[in-house]
Amino acid sequence: MSSTHLTFRFASHEDAPYLTEWLTEPSILRWFPMYDAREIDDAVRIWISYSRLHACLTAEWDDIPCAIANLYIQPFRKLAHTCLFSIIVRKDMRGKGIGKALIEELMKLAKMKFHIEILHLEVYEGNPAKKLYERLGFVEFGFHKKFIKEEDGYLGKFFMQKVL
Amino acid sequence: MQSQTPEEIAGLDIRYSYLTDAPALREWLYDPQVQRWFPVAEEKEIEDAIQCWIGFSRYSSSLTATLDKGATICGIATLFLMPYRKVSHHCLFKMVVDPKYQHQGIGTSLLKNLKHLAKNYFHLEMMHIEVFDKNPFIHLLHKQDFHEFARQDKFVKDKGEYHARILYESYL
Repeated sequence: MSSTHLTFRFASHEDAPYLTEWLTEPSILRWFPMYDAREIDDAVRIWISYSRLHACLTAEWDDIPCAIANLYIQPFRKLAHTCLFSIIVRKDMRGKGIGKALIEELMKLAKMKFHIEILHLEVYEGNPAKKLYERLGFVEFGFHKKFIKEEDGYLGKFFMQKVL
Repeated sequence: MQSQTPEEIAGLDIRYSYLTDAPALREWLYDPQVQRWFPVAEEKEIEDAIQCWIGFSRYSSSLTATLDKGATICGIATLFLMPYRKVSHHCLFKMVVDPKYQHQGIGTSLLKNLKHLAKNYFHLEMMHIEVFDKNPFIHLLHKQDFHEFARQDKFVKDKGEYHARILYESYL
């Protein structure tokens, strides 16, 4: 990966159409709980709302958005030291190390700005991204069988976390 | 709604929740004995949680236990129905029993009725709950065929002490 190509900035509401476009791609949507355009719109609205808190990062490759990652900052004080995150990388930009670099940037943001101690994620059975999470030091703490129900069967969901 | 008759508890009735049950929920969530088992701690957190929780009464996915011919609200249990189709075959639930009426079987009766509602009305296949470690409610979950499927240490940080969260699920 050439660092001259890849830059990071805080996401804004103007990034919502990129999220919608990427999530509409079936090979990406299969790893998310949404099913159709209405559900995608709902999820994008929630996701991008965290940009107001500066808890959402956009990665750009030669100034074009190619990935977005989000910290779902907890609304409860007792849980404020933990945070769920999600990430999406544009399909044709995979394999360039963008996901890894963006998560590393997000971990820095989580720790330095939001004082997060434990970052966690949810990933479905069979998602190749799970290997990346393992390489980045995330460890499993649970598995929810049959979490997703599709026409051809069920998929389980792994819970993973990393102490920052 | 009543399918699992709570005949063993004198005067207990279980009905669908109303938006007007919110004050009971508010009273309990402000009670430190109850609050310690929930993520809420501050006024805004409690009010937001109540709005979300009791809002499910609009979908008839919340049950309220009453005594004294409906005059006393003693517990509320609610299915937090999932908004997305691929995950709509299961859901999270939450439950609280007034501390004055705990250990009388009200929680057992509410939970049985909620499972019945989940399976027969909403056609759910599983339901799950998130509890904090050492919550006495865990004992009831075990008795009602719930199993642990995730445990996250240090998920709760309250007054400088950490507690785990445990996720339990039951197949319906």
